[in-house]
Amino acid sequence: MSVKKVWTIFDRSRLYECYECSRCSGSCPATLTHHTLGPRKILLKCLQQGQESVIEDPAIWYCTTCMVCQDRCPQEINIPELLTGLRNIGAQKGNVPEKVKFAVEKIAKTGRSLLTFRVERERERYGLPPLQEIDTEEVSRILTETGFFKDLKIDR
Amino acid sequence: MSLKYAFFPGCVIPAKYPHFERATRAVAEGLGIELVDLPFSCCPPTSNMKLVHYDSWLALAVRNLCIAEEQGLNILTTCTGCVSTLKEANHIMQEKPNRRRKVNRILKKVGKQYEGTIEIKHLLDALYDDVGLDAIAEKCVYNLNMKIACHYGCHLFRPSYILYPEFLSPAHSYVPTSMEEIIEVLGGEPVDFMRRFLCCGYPLGANVDEDGSYEILREKLHYINASSAELISVACASCFEQFELGQVMIKKKHKETYGFPTLYISQLMGLAMGLEPKELGLKEHIHKVKKLLPRLEERRGEKRASI
Amino acid sequence: MHVTRDKANEKPKIGVFVCHCGLNIGGVVDVQKVADFAATLPDVVFASANLYTCSQPGQEEIKKAIREQDLNRVVVASCTPRLHEPTFRAACEQSGLNPYLFEMANIREHCSWVHLHDKVGATQKAIDLVQMAVTRSRLLEAQVESSVPVIARALVIGGGVAGIQAALDLADSGFQVYLVERASSIGGRMAQIDKTFPTMDCSICILAPKMAEVGRHPNIKLFTLSEVEQVEGYVGNFKVRVKRKARYVTDDCTSCGDCVKECPQLAPDEFNEGLSTRRAIFISFAQAVPSSYVIDMDLCLNKEGIVACDKCLHACKARCIDFSQKGEELNLDVGAIIVATGVDVYDPSPLTEIGYRRFPNVITSLEFERLINAGGPSHGNLIRPSDQKVPKRVAFLQCIGSRSTRANKYCSNICCMNTIKDALLIKEHWPGTEIKVFYIDIRAFGKGFEDLFRRARREGVEFIRGIPGEIIQDPETHDLTLIGENMLLGEWYKYQVDMAILSVGIEPRRDSKHIQQILNLSTGKDGFFLEAHPKLRPVDTATSGIFLAGGAEGPKDIKDSVTQASAAASRAGILMTRGEVKVEAITARLDPEKCTGCGMCVEVCPYKALRKDEETGIVHIIEASCAGCGACAAECRFGAIQMRHYSDKQIYAQIASITREEPEKKIVAFCCNWCSYAGADFAGVSRIQYPPQVRIIRTMCSGRVSMDFIRFAFARGAGAVLVSGCHPADCHYINANMQTEKRVKRLWKEMQKKGLHTDRLQLAWVSAAEGRRFAGVIQKMADDLERISEKELQKTRAAYEKFLGKEP
Repeated sequence: MSVKKVWTIFDRSRLYECYECSRCSGSCPATLTHHTLGPRKILLKCLQQGQESVIEDPAIWYCTTCMVCQDRCPQEINIPELLTGLRNIGAQKGNVPEKVKFAVEKIAKTGRSLLTFRVERERERYGLPPLQEIDTEEVSRILTETGFFKDLKIDR
Repeated sequence: MSLKYAFFPGCVIPAKYPHFERATRAVAEGLGIELVDLPFSCCPPTSNMKLVHYDSWLALAVRNLCIAEEQGLNILTTCTGCVSTLKEANHIMQEKPNRRRKVNRILKKVGKQYEGTIEIKHLLDALYDDVGLDAIAEKCVYNLNMKIACHYGCHLFRPSYILYPEFLSPAHSYVPTSMEEIIEVLGGEPVDFMRRFLCCGYPLGANVDEDGSYEILREKLHYINASSAELISVACASCFEQFELGQVMIKKKHKETYGFPTLYISQLMGLAMGLEPKELGLKEHIHKVKKLLPRLEERRGEKRASI
Repeated sequence: MHVTRDKANEKPKIGVFVCHCGLNIGGVVDVQKVADFAATLPDVVFASANLYTCSQPGQEEIKKAIREQDLNRVVVASCTPRLHEPTFRAACEQSGLNPYLFEMANIREHCSWVHLHDKVGATQKAIDLVQMAVTRSRLLEAQVESSVPVIARALVIGGGVAGIQAALDLADSGFQVYLVERASSIGGRMAQIDKTFPTMDCSICILAPKMAEVGRHPNIKLFTLSEVEQVEGYVGNFKVRVKRKARYVTDDCTSCGDCVKECPQLAPDEFNEGLSTRRAIFISFAQAVPSSYVIDMDLCLNKEGIVACDKCLHACKARCIDFSQKGEELNLDVGAIIVATGVDVYDPSPLTEIGYRRFPNVITSLEFERLINAGGPSHGNLIRPSDQKVPKRVAFLQCIGSRSTRANKYCSNICCMNTIKDALLIKEHWPGTEIKVFYIDIRAFGKGFEDLFRRARREGVEFIRGIPGEIIQDPETHDLTLIGENMLLGEWYKYQVDMAILSVGIEPRRDSKHIQQILNLSTGKDGFFLEAHPKLRPVDTATSGIFLAGGAEGPKDIKDSVTQASAAASRAGILMTRGEVKVEAITARLDPEKCTGCGMCVEVCPYKALRKDEETGIVHIIEASCAGCGACAAECRFGAIQMRHYSDKQIYAQIASITREEPEKKIVAFCCNWCSYAGADFAGVSRIQYPPQVRIIRTMCSGRVSMDFIRFAFARGAGAVLVSGCHPADCHYINANMQTEKRVKRLWKEMQKKGLHTDRLQLAWVSAAEGRRFAGVIQKMADDLERISEKELQKTRAAYEKFLGKEP
C-alpha cells in the first residue's frame, strides 16, 4: 500500500485554485529562517513545473507543519497535505533528513519515538507507574502491511 | 459527564518530562478525573511519520484509537501533537470510506477493527468542557497572581475544520481561548502578545535545522518580551522544550536574555491547587520559577467569581 | 393580426421539412432517407429535405407548402427549438396557420452533433425523433395568447443612485412612480462616498441635484422610513402593501438643528459607520431628502405618545415636532416593480489575522470614506482612530472578503479602483504620505480606469503584489506592522504603517432577503438577485414585471448602476407603454367538473397562481400569474388540470412513439426547457459524443413530469427513464423541481417494493452549461441498459400493466 504519487494524498485539481495571493508564504514561520521556498512557491512549482521540481529539494523539509497556511488561504487549499505528499515521495527517493529517518525507525522498532534508558528511575522518583509495554510485533506487522519497510528501504 | 479517560501521555512527557505527568496525574486526582493506562504506542507524530509514510502514520494512529475503543473510553492526551494525529486519523476514517476500508483491512490482520465510537480530547478541552471552570475554581487554594503568556501551540487547533469543527468562525478558522480562561480561574492574568499563534519552531529543529528553529522562537520571544508577561504557559512538551532550550541557545548566539520561565498547564494548575513545587518538578526547569513563587496568594474562603 | 386557421375538427394534414443544415446534419444523418420515411407516415401529405430551412428560401418553402398543400400541421426536423422555434412559428403565422400547430424535432444538437461517428445510429434516431414529432403534431391544438392590462404606475424599491435614476427616468417618461426607501433619506451608498472614480467628482455634489429632483418631481411619490411588506398579483397588476414609520417631525422643519443640541440620548451614527454618534432626533446627512429631521423612536425616551422628555419640543422654534404622529399602511397598485436594494460591505471581523476590531487603526474602506469626507466625523481630516493623529504611512489591503471560499467567492468589482482613488485623495491632501497598496490583481477595466491607475503610480503610490499574512500592532503606539511576502521581489517584509485600510468586498444588503421572499425572486450562488439571462436580459428577472437595477443585481460602480437603472426603467416603460402584456399560451387550464377541491395543486404552485374558492370548494387559476411549469397538472390525480400545448395526451403519445420498437434499448428522457434540455443542447454545441439510445421529451419544467408518465414508460417496456431538471436552487420556476425530486423518490420506493431495479429510473440535475455532465449521465445509462435481463423487463411490464392504454 505504498504511495506512488503525491496526488493520492493531495488532490491535484486543487492546485488550480491558487491565484498567488501570498498570504500563506506571508504567514509561514519557516520563512524566518531565510532558507525556504515558502508554501506559495512550492505550490507554484508543482503546478507549473511538476512535482519533480521540488521533491528532491531538501528545502521542503523546512515546513514545521504549523498549518497556518491552510487557515489563511482564501481558497482553503490544503497546503500541508501537499507538503505531506511531497515529503512522502521525497523520502522514498532519499530526500529525508537524518533525524527524521532515525525517529521513524525508532518508532518502527520500539513503538516509541524516544530512547528510554534512564526513564524508569526518573519515573520511580516521581511516583509514576512504569511505562506501558508496547506490542512491537503488532506495530511491526502493521508497518509491513503498509509497505513502510519496503518503500523506505529499512530493514525490519 | 463521565470523567474516566484512556490516558495518552505520548512519548516525550513520560520519557523526558515525567514531572509533567506527575502534575497531570495529581491534578486529575484532585478534580476527580480517572486516568486509565493502556498499551498505546507512539501516536505517531505529524512532524515525522506522517511526512515519511502517510499510510503507516494512519494505520498506527488508528491502532491506538482501537485500543481505546476496545475499552470503551475516550482518550485524554497531554500532547498537542498526539491530539492532532488522533483527531485527524479519526476524521479521515469517518469521512473517507476508501481509506477506512484499507486501514481496517490491515488492522483485521492483527485482530483490530476501527468502529469510530470514541472521542479524543486534549487535557485543556477535558478541563474546559468536561470538568468545567467552576469545578476547577473550587479546588484552587491559591491565586497565581502572575502575568502569563499563553502559547497554545499549532497542533492543538489547526486545521480548525478537523480539530474544532463545531467552533468554526464564518471564516473557517478558530481562535482558542480555553487556556486563558483556565488561567484566569487560577487567579493568573493572561496577557495578550502579538503573533500569539505563531509556531514555536520545534519540528524544524527536531527534523532539520536547530538554528533555524531558534530564529522562529526568537520572533515569538521578541513579542512576548514586548508584552508584560512574566511566565509562559504551554500545553505541549515539544513547545516546552523549544522555549526551555531555545532561550539558552539564543542567549549564547545572539546575547539576548529573555529568561521566561515556562510551565506546562498542569504545573500551573498544581500550583494553584496547593501542590508542592517539588512535586511539580519545578526545580528541574532551567529558567527558574522560584522568583515568582512568592506571588502565590492564599484564597481566603471567598468564592472566586466564575466567568 | 390575421386570422389563423384553427382546424380543430379537420383531419391533420402534416408537412414535414427535414433540414440538412449544410453538413451539420447532412454530413451524419441520411436526410433524404428521413424525409422519405416521413412521407410514409399516416397524415403526412408533404415531406421534403432542405438545405437550410431557417433561411429565407427555406422559410418560403414552408409557406408555399402550407398554401399549396393546405397544411394544418408543420413539423421541421432541424436544430434545437430553443433557437428557431420562434422563427418557424412566425413563418406559420404569416401563412395563416396558428403558430401553436407547429412542432420541431431536434436532429442536430441532440443527434447529428453528438453521434458524429455513428451514422447509422444517428439516422435511425433522427427517424425516431421525426416520428415522435409527427405523432405529437397530430394532437396539437390551436392556441390564442391572451393579454392582460398593465397599470401605468411603477414601484421602485430602494432609494440609492440606481433607484433614484430609475425613478427619474420613469417619471420623466410620464409614469407615476412610488419610490420606497427604508432609511430616513434617499442617497444610499453614493451619499456616503467622498469622491467618485475615475473623475474624482465629489460624490454627494453630483448626487444631490438628482435627489432634489426626486423630492420635487410631480410624478414621484417618495416614501422614506418605509418598507415593502407584501406583494400580491402579477405582471401589470401588482398589489403592494407598504408600512411607513412615523417621522415625528412635520414638513415645517427648517433643518436648523437646535433640537439636536438638547437631546440627551446617544447612539452610533449609522451613516458614519459607527465612527461618531447621533442623537435620537437627527438628520442623517446635510443634503438629505426629505430635508426634515427624524426621531428614532427606539432611542427616544418617549414611547407610544407619552412625552416624558420634552427637551427638543422646547428647543424647536418652528414647532414642527409632533409626538402624536403614527405610522401608516399604504396600499399601492402598480404595473411594474424595480428592485434596487443596493449593497452592504463585508465585515472582516472573522479574518482574525488582520485585526479588524482588535486594532483601532485597522479600518474598512467605507469607514475611510467617512473619515476623509468633509461632512464626516473628523470633518475631512484623515486621522487615526487611536490618537487622532494624521497618518504618515498608510497601507491598503485588497480583496478582503472577496475571491475567497472563506468569505465571498466573487470579485467585488469596485475595490481596486476605489483604493486607487483613495490613494490619490490622500496624496492630494497630504502629499508626503507613504502609501502602499497590497494587491493580488489590479482590475482597472473601465473607461478612464487605466489612466487613474497610471496617475496613482506616477504620484508615488507603491503597488506590492501579495497580501500580508498578518497584521500586528505595537501595544503602546498602536502602530501597525504588516508581515508578508513581497512575491515579485522574492523578499519577506515587515512594513510599519500608521494605518491600514481594508478594501472590503460588497455583498447584497442583508435586509434584501426579505424582499427576495416577498417577490419570490431567485438569487444566484453569490447571493445577488438573479437576472433572467446574463447576456441578453440583464435587468429582467424570471418573473415578468419585476426588474433589477444597481448593486442588488451584482457588485458594480456608480456608472454601471446608473446605466442599469435606466435600462430597467426602459424595460418597465415598454410594459407600461404597451398597456397590455401577452401571456404565452402554455398556461394551465382547470376543469371544474373534475376538480375535487383537494388543494394539492395549490400547494405546489411556486407562483401562488392557483386559488381554492372557499365557497364553492373548487380551485381556479389566475392565468396572468401562471408561468406554465405544469407542477400542478402533474400533481392532480383526477386529471382536472391540463397544460395548454403540453398536454398529458401529447406526452403519452410521445412516450408511446419512443417505445414502439425495441423499447428495452431506449432511454426515455424528460428534460426541462430552461436547464437540462439546454444542457443537452450544449453537449451538442460542444460536440461531446454519447451513445444514441436516448430520446428526449421536452417539457417546460421537470415539475411537469407526473409519476404516471414514468409508470407508462415502464409499462411499455422502456429500458430506462431519465428525469432531468435544473439544479435545486436554480429552478426557472422558482422551486417546482422540488416536486420532481419528491415524485422520483416516491417512485424509487415503489419500484423497490415491487422488486424492480431502482437505477433504471435516474434523476439528474443538469444546468444549461453542463453539456459534459449530460453526456456522462447518458453514457452511464446506456452502459447499464446492456445489463438489464429479460426477466427484469417482464417483471416491470407486469408491475405497471394497468397503466397501459393511456396513449391516444
